Amino acid sequence: MKRIPGALVTVLLVAWAIVQVYPILFMFITSVKSDKQILNAPFALPDPLLLDNYAIVWAGDRVAQPFSTFFINSFMITLGSLAILLFVAGLAGYSLARGRFPGNAATQQGFLLTLAVPVHVLIIPMYFFMGDLGLRNSHIGMMLVYATLGLPFTIILMRAYFLSFPHELEESAMLDGCSRFGAFIRVVVPVSRGAIASMAIINISWIWSELLFALVLLDQPQVRTLPLAVAGYRPVSMAAESVVGQQFAIMTLTALPLFVFYFFFQQQIRKGMTAGALR
Amino acid sequence: MNFRRNLIWYIFLAPAVIMLLMFMALPLIQSLELAFFEWNGLRPREYVALENFEDLFDDRFFWGALRHTLIFAVFSTIGTVGIGLLLAMAISRRVRGAALYRFVFYLPVMLPMAVTAALWVRMYEQNFGMLNVMLRSIGLAHLEGAWIASRETALGSVIAVAVWQFSGFPMIILLAAIENIPQDLHEAASLDGISELQRSRYLTLPLIRPVLISISVLQFIFSLKVFDLVWVMTLGGPAESTSVLGTFLYKEAFRKQEYGYASAVAVVMFAVIFAVTYAYQRLMRVEAVEF
Repeated sequence: MKRIPGALVTVLLVAWAIVQVYPILFMFITSVKSDKQILNAPFALPDPLLLDNYAIVWAGDRVAQPFSTFFINSFMITLGSLAILLFVAGLAGYSLARGRFPGNAATQQGFLLTLAVPVHVLIIPMYFFMGDLGLRNSHIGMMLVYATLGLPFTIILMRAYFLSFPHELEESAMLDGCSRFGAFIRVVVPVSRGAIASMAIINISWIWSELLFALVLLDQPQVRTLPLAVAGYRPVSMAAESVVGQQFAIMTLTALPLFVFYFFFQQQIRKGMTAGALR
Repeated sequence: MNFRRNLIWYIFLAPAVIMLLMFMALPLIQSLELAFFEWNGLRPREYVALENFEDLFDDRFFWGALRHTLIFAVFSTIGTVGIGLLLAMAISRRVRGAALYRFVFYLPVMLPMAVTAALWVRMYEQNFGMLNVMLRSIGLAHLEGAWIASRETALGSVIAVAVWQFSGFPMIILLAAIENIPQDLHEAASLDGISELQRSRYLTLPLIRPVLISISVLQFIFSLKVFDLVWVMTLGGPAESTSVLGTFLYKEAFRKQEYGYASAVAVVMFAVIFAVTYAYQRLMRVEAVEF
């Protein structure tokens, strides 16, 4: 068979790999340079390697709030949203997979429809409504919003998983005197750890990165999340100010947790994305 | 009796239904309602019937935002799916280092969009930005541009960033589709003495066509919702040349306090995206999700 020369394919693949990786490497490298180095030798490796940018942004100097605040906010919100989302979606998915009750199919149709709702349409009423509830500038409020946004497709995937989950386990637990809920918590959840973890994996990165709702619902600096910190650092010209290194440190610190996460779970993430593609 | 037996299932379902009603259905209905009012958030709102939609129809900035959104969605879809397809085909030849390519090409997808945007603001910067510095240093100074700072090139530059970040996503899905093609089909094809290009054209492409269409529609819907990238890179500027529906809505609502008018924009967005997504779900029968 006439094949396209392997060398040509390799050249193209390597070229695209450089295009993809270089900006990310550039971000890491620039974050450990002084502003003088950044402007005078943008391509050069850091000399000397400086961690000052990190120290400054972490403790908070030029930004109104120390970066550590944003980091903790993002961490708490992501963790809380995931906990609520997985618990609620797990119960609902289990109910839809097991229960033969009137309204089951209609509920599933309803969830499917909510998948088609663009979040932008919710944002204005949500701004006032969350204000009335006292949930604006509140981490609990953000957790509820993010958990809700993740619900439709997480429930659909959870249901699909529970359909293939063996009945016998729960039934024997219930014969031993467990309630439905008891059987769910003590038997079904522990056995389903893997599936639940993959649901967490699908949801973690969009929650960590979410900007629009955070922008609208978190207007006080002390409750803000990382994407807001990144978006807030938007100086126009490079020559005028001397916070470039710090900006790159913030960007790196925001991206790093997801990179580490990707490094360890790459297979599950890519598989999960294929499944979650319907979102 | 029946209801009592089923009660536990309703209770299991209740938290999800309550959350979706409260944080999705309710705001959605309020948004549809608000589109018929004029309201600045402070004074009592005033019913204006279809006036917001009439104003929208005459607002050239709205039409601009709609046009930019469609241009963004069409070209970023073509770019990501096109490059993704090429990459998937290249990697499926069992090149050396396939695992590494997979890892690397998906890496940018993991970046928070706000970080991608902020990073590329720096890359595109006119005097010290990486792109212009690089062009100068390889003797292509005449190609230097203002990129996102110029009305002519801003939208294209933003689209390029979207393609840079997301081409790994269709790649992963198309690669899975290609690897699902039974091996004996490949062998049969190579026995017939066709070239590799012919094989791609007449064997691989038709077989992965459903996945190709599906990922294109998904990418298109995803791109219609663009906000982060534009907001952090340009705020819709310069001179509204990158304004998209998402940023237009945000500005009307939270910069100008025109909540009724912005809700009319939201309704238009909802109609467009809901229609495309719903048609897609019908077409693909998403009910049968495999996991």
